[in-house]
Amino acid sequence: MTGPRRPPALTPTLAAVTLVLVAASTAIGYAPLDIPAAFADWIAGRETVAQIVLVELRLPRALSGALVGFSLGIVGAALQGLLRNPLADPGIIGVSAAAALGAVVAFYTGLAATFALALPLGGIAGALLSTVVIYALAGRGTGTMGLILAGVALSSLCGALTALALNLSPNPFAAMEIVFWLMGSLADRSWNHVLLAAPLMALGWAITTSTAPALDALTLGEETAESLGFSIAVLRAKIVAGAALAVGPAVAVAGAIGFIGLVAPHLMRPLVGHRPGALLVVSGLAGAVLTLAADIAVRLIPVQPELKLGVVTALIGAPFLMTLILRLRRTA
Amino acid sequence: MRPGQPLAAALAGLTLALAADVRPGVAEAPQRIVSINLCADELLLRLVPERVASVTFLARDPTASTVADLAAGVPVNHGQPEEVMAFAPDLVVAGRFSARAPLRSLQRVGEEVLVLGVPTTFAEARALITDLAGRLGVPERGAALVARMEDDIAAATTDPAQRPRAVVLSPNGVTVGEGSLVAELIERAGLHNVAAELAVDGYGRLPLETIVMAGIEVLIVDAEPDAFPALASELLDHPALKRLGRRITLAPVPARLWTCAGPQMADAVSLMAAAAGEARARRPEADR
Repeated sequence: MTGPRRPPALTPTLAAVTLVLVAASTAIGYAPLDIPAAFADWIAGRETVAQIVLVELRLPRALSGALVGFSLGIVGAALQGLLRNPLADPGIIGVSAAAALGAVVAFYTGLAATFALALPLGGIAGALLSTVVIYALAGRGTGTMGLILAGVALSSLCGALTALALNLSPNPFAAMEIVFWLMGSLADRSWNHVLLAAPLMALGWAITTSTAPALDALTLGEETAESLGFSIAVLRAKIVAGAALAVGPAVAVAGAIGFIGLVAPHLMRPLVGHRPGALLVVSGLAGAVLTLAADIAVRLIPVQPELKLGVVTALIGAPFLMTLILRLRRTA
Repeated sequence: MRPGQPLAAALAGLTLALAADVRPGVAEAPQRIVSINLCADELLLRLVPERVASVTFLARDPTASTVADLAAGVPVNHGQPEEVMAFAPDLVVAGRFSARAPLRSLQRVGEEVLVLGVPTTFAEARALITDLAGRLGVPERGAALVARMEDDIAAATTDPAQRPRAVVLSPNGVTVGEGSLVAELIERAGLHNVAAELAVDGYGRLPLETIVMAGIEVLIVDAEPDAFPALASELLDHPALKRLGRRITLAPVPARLWTCAGPQMADAVSLMAAAAGEARARRPEADR
């Protein structure tokens, strides 16, 4: 392992920044809120408007921002490590598209109207189903290329089916709603969303972090990693499962938020000495920081109706990607 | 034309249409009218049901249209030029937001196309109906329809001293800010529309936080429970709204009641006025 060593305080620093932004996201809203009074009401069990805004709206929004961002960042780092391609992101294996399709199906079959949370549950089911499809297509025998192709095929199929569902929608206004939903937003998320997503995400993070040694070994090449005792097939399976468990709920809760999973690992890579294993957790934290910052920006930018989170991240992420391409061309 | 007798209306329409051809003075009035816009469907079926050759498929859908019974026997179209031409119409009625390309195709092959505007005030709604009835050669039916609309709305209108604060949660394509037809309906229902205060314009949903903080008493939901899936209903399950349940009255108003100008707007006013009454009734309790 060459290159600069990781600054020892990187992870704690990022964690601290994440916490500060969670606090800022709680403090910043659409209207000024007396936060200390709201907390006092909460502790005293008084049901005031300020307390409801703080507890039922601001805290779940800030927390889901952190959870979603961490999931996108860590999965982006894992996939870039596995595919050894800096342009990989959580969308590449089709998990995001499948989660979006699951949510749209839950919405249109009327399931979403029958019980609360059917929408995010549909998204999670879509993401988990997608792993089955990916295994069926690229499970055994095929290499990393097979995995990418399976992901691209699955993404296109899910995208087409989502468009079909919108096309057949009985309610044109509903189609508009779901298009806006797919652009990604953390507005009006509740504790139900957080509590539904968090356990699955945590499981996904755990599986993904456990791949760190294998990812480090993989930088030496697939044969070398195999000879060191790491099974590439197992690594691939773990990363796909981790991605589905972490990103599926993220899409189900917040819609499609692009570029976080692509950009976060790039920002962190020089700081951890280009070791994909060490990149995982710091990328997750960077993803949380970026998502929280974007969500705060969405509420501070005085544009009515408010910008969608996925739109803001893409507006910032795309130029970043372009500079990245220019830099790659220069170094090549 | 009263709803509830569509078959009789259709039969009467047939004879009327035959008779109209030989009546002098009405010869220039269109006899085979095709509508490619839901609002035009509603007005045409109310004004000249006997001369409507085709309406949009939406007109038969009782969740989208208020004239589903009148449209039951009328052939439907999907706004495609080929479909429209097959009816050999002498007038095609479209809406301001109808797709441009099919309209241009229709005009190129020589069809006469009338484009209805979108009224933003009661005066404009009145003028729209009167002008259309004049164009169709039935000014007296237009006057009757306008009178019915005004009477129904006047009957539902309330003007209380205490107006509960209200806002439309999810404006599904209808403008709910100042100076719109829906805003006028909200005022007539005895509510105070706070959309202007909150700087709501056109599309775009209000964040729940704003709704909670603005002290909204009546939340008008532009949707019908169980009619079709809408994200608005997902939002209504939010714990923050549930906990505010004792302070906020929900007023579900199906979009079909106020998307188009017509007597059905009175039903929207009635629904909102009922919610306004409920909100006023609970006021002292909430203050305690």
